[in-house]
Amino acid sequence: MIHPNKHYLLFVLFIFLVFISFTVTAEFKPKSNAAKHWVNNEFQPSTLTVDEQMQEMAWFTSASQPFVGMKIRVVSERIATHWYEASTLAKAFYEITGIHVVHELTGEDDVIKKLSAQIMTQQNLYDAYINDSDLIGTHFRSNAVVSLSDFMKLEGESVTLPTLDLQDFIGLKFTTGPDGHLYQLPDQQFANLYWYRHDWFNRKDFQKRFRSRYGYELGVPQNWQAYEDIAEFFSEDIKEIDGERIYGHMDYAKTDPSLGWRMSDAWLSMAGVGDKGLPNGLPVDEWGIRVEGCHPVGASVERGGALNGPAAVYAVDKFIYWLNRFAPEESIHLNFTQAGEWPGKGLIAQQIFWYTAFVADLTNPSLPVVNQDGTPKWRVAPSPVGKYWQAGMKSGYQDAGSWTLLKSTPLKRQQAAWLYAQFVVSKTVSLKKTLVGLTPIRRSDIESEVMTQRAPYLGGLVEFYRSRGRDVWTPTGTNVPDYPGLANYWWQYISLIIEGKVTTQKGMDNFAAAVDERLALIADNNGMSCEPKLNPKSTREFWLEKTGSPKQKILQQPKGRTLQYEEAINVWQ
Amino acid sequence: MCGNNGRYGLLTSVLIIMSLTVTQLRAETLQILTYEESPFALRVGKTHKGLLVDMLKELFSRTDLQYELKFIPLKRAIITTERMPGHCVLPVGRSQEREASFHWISPVLVSRYGLYSRDDVIIPLTTLSDAKPYTIGSFLGSGIGEYLTDLGFDVDLASVSAQNLRKLKRSRIELWAAELISAREQMQKQAINFGAPELIFYTSLRAMACNREMSLETTLKLEQALTSMYLDGYMSELYLEYGVEI
Repeated sequence: MIHPNKHYLLFVLFIFLVFISFTVTAEFKPKSNAAKHWVNNEFQPSTLTVDEQMQEMAWFTSASQPFVGMKIRVVSERIATHWYEASTLAKAFYEITGIHVVHELTGEDDVIKKLSAQIMTQQNLYDAYINDSDLIGTHFRSNAVVSLSDFMKLEGESVTLPTLDLQDFIGLKFTTGPDGHLYQLPDQQFANLYWYRHDWFNRKDFQKRFRSRYGYELGVPQNWQAYEDIAEFFSEDIKEIDGERIYGHMDYAKTDPSLGWRMSDAWLSMAGVGDKGLPNGLPVDEWGIRVEGCHPVGASVERGGALNGPAAVYAVDKFIYWLNRFAPEESIHLNFTQAGEWPGKGLIAQQIFWYTAFVADLTNPSLPVVNQDGTPKWRVAPSPVGKYWQAGMKSGYQDAGSWTLLKSTPLKRQQAAWLYAQFVVSKTVSLKKTLVGLTPIRRSDIESEVMTQRAPYLGGLVEFYRSRGRDVWTPTGTNVPDYPGLANYWWQYISLIIEGKVTTQKGMDNFAAAVDERLALIADNNGMSCEPKLNPKSTREFWLEKTGSPKQKILQQPKGRTLQYEEAINVWQ
Repeated sequence: MCGNNGRYGLLTSVLIIMSLTVTQLRAETLQILTYEESPFALRVGKTHKGLLVDMLKELFSRTDLQYELKFIPLKRAIITTERMPGHCVLPVGRSQEREASFHWISPVLVSRYGLYSRDDVIIPLTTLSDAKPYTIGSFLGSGIGEYLTDLGFDVDLASVSAQNLRKLKRSRIELWAAELISAREQMQKQAINFGAPELIFYTSLRAMACNREMSLETTLKLEQALTSMYLDGYMSELYLEYGVEI
């Protein structure tokens, strides 16, 4: 028998529980409505069914409960994909979870500076960063970046999306340290490929003229000699189409930081400077830095590196020679941004070093390089390689802007930021985001039927990402221990060569010596794991006579080799 | 034997040592150039005050270096620093283009920018793009005004920042983009209170740029002193004195 007072207490408890459940339902209801709204009106198409999307959103709503009302700050560079996140996805995330995210956009250089400042000062400037995986070598050594592998198992387990499906990400190798830990989660990726006017290459009269002059077919160049022949053919033989001056090559060389990225984004790899190995050459990578174990031991040939070796000199010489002889006269005065619009003008036959971040810009129907049905007159294909390149080496560059958490961020803020990071890469939103920004990160999106339908309008981008090429075009790797500190050297030293102030060999000698000096300085930084340990200086011959990189000078010129577009794509199937 | 010659010799030696010491001191006194920007650095009679003035005093007190603070316009300060050894300028945006021209001590100033609305109007902003339909006030030469213009916002530029408060009050602009510390001070000065910003949307880091010939040793001393000021909480406290959190 229950005492009357107990009846009363039970009644009060019942009323309280009803109130609580009503409050919780009231809290969840609008969020569930918000999820429904966003799933139906924005997050289509998706590789998930609507039910699966709603389940994913329900998980976000529930996992975010401890963080409702928090204001989180994240920062990324300023490209279309991130603008979509900052303006659309951050708003959706707020309505679905109650976590307010301020997603700032700025230059990539500024992102790196802010990240470095937070590491140095331990002030929590931002709760998460999207920064290029080029910094993986810096991150895994720094002891300042959260190992996501650990985080997902430990402090972040309750806020790690069960349907995140890490194996679906195509760029995890780029964001994993030599210690096997995942340090960053890819958010957007774009590649640097060969771009060319498919319609011009298919003209029978051009094909005939090219064949009679060079002795092989006009097609997608497989090596730098073929690229050079095609550049010469269009710039100096064809010269004009429909009364307009056209060019067989496009590039940029203004003394500007973008010249640095133009070089450090795997140009030396394409020439064949490094060793075999994916995602990056080992023991020598495309920055010419040799590692032993995980310790950088030098960039100069005298210490076993390759930054001033024959292959690096060849790479820079070719860049300058093509620029001066085959590109529009303005090229030397243009930076990356200014040069970006040139292929769209309809005056360029091919460009060896072209970022697919420009795909969306070059599909504008008003441009002379787009057909009336919206399909492009151009194509992208795997880049040709230099005479030092060998099978098994990386062939080009890919950018992987990736989510990075710092240890100096308080745990609760890390967790809330991690929820947002996963939201913007979740399967619910990732296909739509890919269609907006054309920077794919998930295999499932790339293989989707929607991408098959879009493929004819994207000039080969989908075909590239469906090929093995996506594993062979890779970002800077783990040999580079201080990307922010070393990245500036590229444009400062290469520009002196371009301006004719020093010879290529002398300029690269100076560059390599400066990198060695910096490595020595970093070596003194206590607390860094896998710190540089410089090799003693030896003669150049000592290293050049060994197998692998640095490589002996190759004197003979290879014959140009081309493939038809389909074959060129199939090379990487 | 000690004669007059000895005394003269001793006196000469003392004078030489004294003059050398003075020269050395002068040589080691860094010329720090800044420009008037309230409440970061301003002249009041013969004294200087402001957040950066306080910060510099503490920074150098943690080293054995001497400094002298001078106020000149920013453009001239940058050119002077680039050309003349022994000079530094602050606060300066550390752009890629400037990166190679100086040695950098950074960050000396962390600035957060917010969007303010009138106190009797609420404009709920979840993301920066929610501000697209509104006219945003900034001022000529402002980095944040440029930033918003580049992103395609409707930016109305006043000739000086202070005009924006009156413009916002009279509804000639709907939002005002301003750095939090200086906004707080301007509101106090003009006895206008717009309350908290609707959205804090951007953070900028500014640095002290020093002439390339500054020795690595001096650079490291300054860098280490600055880092220690962040790590031991001095900087957080300083910002709180000016009413904001870093």
